[in-house]
Amino acid sequence: MLEHDTRTTESNAPAVSRAVTVALLMVLLCLVSPSHAGGFESSWAVVESGTSEDLLTAAEYDNQIWVFGTGGTMLNSSDNGVTWQSAESPTEYDIHHSDSGFGSLLVAGDSGLVLLKQSSESDWLDISLAEVSQINDVALMGSGNIVAVGDGGAIFRYDGGIWESVPLSIQNDLNSISFYDEDFGVLVGSNGTILFSVDGGETWDYREPPEGAGEANIVAVEYYSPVRIYAITDDGSILFSRSDIVAGTDVGYVWTLIDFERHYPPGSTDYLLNPSDLDVELTSLEVLTTTKLMMTGAGGYLSISTNGGTIVSQQINPLGNDTDFNHIHMLTPFVGIAVGDDGAILWTEDAGEDDQVGFAVPEYSNFGVFVDETKERFKDGFIATIKIVSFGIVLGFFLGVTLAMCKTSPLSLKNLVERFEPMQVRVAGAPILVAGLYMFKSAIPGTRGLGLEGIEYIFLPIGAPVSFARILLGIAFTFLGLLFLSNDGKFSKIKISSFNFNPWRVRPLTTIVNVYTDFFRNTPLIVQFLFIHFGLDLGGAIKTPGLEYFSFEKLSQDHNFITDIFAIYDDNGTLIGGLLFNTTFISAFCSLGFNSGAYQCETIRGAIQAIPSAQMEAGRSIGLTYLQTMRRVIMPQAIRICIPPMGNEMVNLVLNSSLAMIIGYAEITRQGKLIVAQTFQYAYAWGMVLISYFVVTWTLALFLRWMEERTRIPGLGITGGD
Amino acid sequence: MTELPENVLEVEDLHMIYSGGVHAVRGISFNVNEGESVAIIGSSGSGKSTVLRCINRLIEPTEGRVSLKGDQVNTPHTDVNNLRSRIGMVFQSFELFAHLKVLDNVTLGLRHVRKMSKRDAKERALSVLERVDMLDRVDAYPGNLSGGQKQRVAIARALAMHPEVLLFDEPTSALDPELIGSVLETIKGLADEGMTMLIVTHEISFARDVADRVIYMDEGVVAEEGPSSIIENPKTERLKKFLSSLHEDDVPEQANE
Repeated sequence: MLEHDTRTTESNAPAVSRAVTVALLMVLLCLVSPSHAGGFESSWAVVESGTSEDLLTAAEYDNQIWVFGTGGTMLNSSDNGVTWQSAESPTEYDIHHSDSGFGSLLVAGDSGLVLLKQSSESDWLDISLAEVSQINDVALMGSGNIVAVGDGGAIFRYDGGIWESVPLSIQNDLNSISFYDEDFGVLVGSNGTILFSVDGGETWDYREPPEGAGEANIVAVEYYSPVRIYAITDDGSILFSRSDIVAGTDVGYVWTLIDFERHYPPGSTDYLLNPSDLDVELTSLEVLTTTKLMMTGAGGYLSISTNGGTIVSQQINPLGNDTDFNHIHMLTPFVGIAVGDDGAILWTEDAGEDDQVGFAVPEYSNFGVFVDETKERFKDGFIATIKIVSFGIVLGFFLGVTLAMCKTSPLSLKNLVERFEPMQVRVAGAPILVAGLYMFKSAIPGTRGLGLEGIEYIFLPIGAPVSFARILLGIAFTFLGLLFLSNDGKFSKIKISSFNFNPWRVRPLTTIVNVYTDFFRNTPLIVQFLFIHFGLDLGGAIKTPGLEYFSFEKLSQDHNFITDIFAIYDDNGTLIGGLLFNTTFISAFCSLGFNSGAYQCETIRGAIQAIPSAQMEAGRSIGLTYLQTMRRVIMPQAIRICIPPMGNEMVNLVLNSSLAMIIGYAEITRQGKLIVAQTFQYAYAWGMVLISYFVVTWTLALFLRWMEERTRIPGLGITGGD
Repeated sequence: MTELPENVLEVEDLHMIYSGGVHAVRGISFNVNEGESVAIIGSSGSGKSTVLRCINRLIEPTEGRVSLKGDQVNTPHTDVNNLRSRIGMVFQSFELFAHLKVLDNVTLGLRHVRKMSKRDAKERALSVLERVDMLDRVDAYPGNLSGGQKQRVAIARALAMHPEVLLFDEPTSALDPELIGSVLETIKGLADEGMTMLIVTHEISFARDVADRVIYMDEGVVAEEGPSSIIENPKTERLKKFLSSLHEDDVPEQANE
């Protein structure tokens, strides 16, 4: 009488602190910092130009690079652009453009300035064009053959020491000129002007600009190959022309405006999708290969496209965005310079492309490096494992409880029919018997059709599942039909010598569940995975109707956190998340759950049978129904009893989840395999996988131990002093 | 006792043959009137508990008829859950729900069978717990109670349903002698209040004090039936023999302490 109910309060204190530990551990696991796949750094180096004049153009001449700028600035470099020295300049006018070739170096600029250097030793030859205010571009198409263009449709040819004006009917400003050889040249300008010459610039044909570029101010052009010409506009578009064999047109006839697919901002992998233009004032263009372009622009714009301009990646610019770049010149596909305002010269030997930091093969044998490089993968795998494990546990538990309740249910055939008159039962028996026999008959064609022989019939369920189901139903219906027909209201057993069997005692629910548990417990889990995913395509079978229900049309109107569990769409209607995202995930957790359910069923059944039968009687005696007593009295006690074996079962489930790798689910074992394939660090990778599993199962075990303690019923279990 | 006692429980020609072939009850008939307490005594194996279990159909009688206020209990058509909720039962080994506190043990039936609100159920539970003097342990788990306390809670659980008849299946035989008293006091109090009761017991003196009538069962049949005075003056040889075998142990005096 003096006993006190102290146990619960005593045991709560350590349980709470353990709960906090577990919760913290879980939180920590979730907080494992996601590492972004490295950063980017520029491969452009800032080199000292020694001047603060704006540098406007660059050319390559006699193993040197020359750079020209405002105020007649001339710099040259003999070491591919690393160091620069000032060269003596005969002019103080701004030099805007330069060209080299045929042993000559040519520059042009303000006030009609044209200077020609015909050998590296010789001085500049001043061949300025007095009558024009500014020359926008010059091109050498032969030794001593020059074409210069200017505003208002001005074209001049220099041949044999004299300038000649080329008459042209248009008044547009001409910005850039490019010759492929001595004859073929292209010329671009404002208002979409594109001119073409096949005779060394003596005559020019007008070519149709592409649709949408009629107003464009085309600022630079490069006649890259006999079949390919690129040009850029100052509003950030790229024009392109090539010879079309199918249509039979030569290069330069048909021009297209490139549709941008993506434009990457500097140092980022988040791109702008389908921009209408590059949103920058482009200034120069360098074509390196048939598809690789480099461009410069105002506001520190440096970019690269490696696929003919549809995907453009802006590169990191070490000078910042205040410097306008005026010209890019590549000596080789890798080495080159970009020049800009205020004496800016950038130099690269790496094609100007951003280096992905850590792009080089990391030293995986260094464990720190290994962890850094692979933790993202481990984290993904870990989360994937946790996902199927949690879903598998939930599914398995509910299946297990349901199956165990079915299996222990005392509902027998007698219970089912005893409330009816024997005559009624007999009347119902006849059609059931007929249906059973019909099932057999209808199963025959499908079975025969397989052409199986002898022992091969064990594969019937796979070869003809419908026929097999009919045979099973046939057996059940025939049995039921005969039984019902024989009903005399006494439910007596069949007794043939020592054989004693009461068919009325057959418990249909138990029988069905037995088939289920026997199947899942007597076949290997890995084969179940393969069969369920590849054979039945359960994931697909759930995903397709599931997505019809959770369709984009419905969810775009009204989605909430519950629908988000099933399907998440982006703005374009592409499925990007949710349970229905991944068929292997669905298959994997279903397989795990089905399998675990079969085992948990047996565990829970054992626990139910461990509850004294009088507890059921006590529940029933106060008027609770069978199910109510199960739910309120038996199961709460049974679950407490079976926590330890259930813990075993759940740990097994976690470990078994590694088999999901076989169907391609990217859980942690599969990630481990991928990491090994990448790094060849077997011990590190598999060791980390082991530890990850240990963390999961150990946490689970702690949790279950805590549960066990928390839910312990006073008066049950071993006591007797600490 | 009223002038015209109403028949609460009627048992007619009850037979029970267990599936093993044991013929435990061989044609028993008796009835229990409103406000009456009837004791069934008999040696172990005489079929007393079987009769009790047949009455609320915890086991299915093979033959015969059990009815509660005219409603037949043992047909497949009857709503057995409803009938059971009208018949209270107290078990030999208490059978409290070990995972529930005392209060929840009592309210379980009220909440889920009587569909009472949580507050009403608690109110009624507290009132019946007060009646069995268990009000101070409402938050204890059955595991932390003594045997006598457990049995009183079990009585409260049955009482809370306001049963029309209360069945006791050897309510004291699992208790230590010194704990029996409180339970018997409780049952006696109920009898005085006019509760209709059917008590299977070994406590002869208790049966004598509490019961209005005594049924002596032997080998599955009613060997002698009559007012509680038959314990003092047994008419049949069998009852005499049974009573004398009990007097050798001579426990009855303690029961009324």
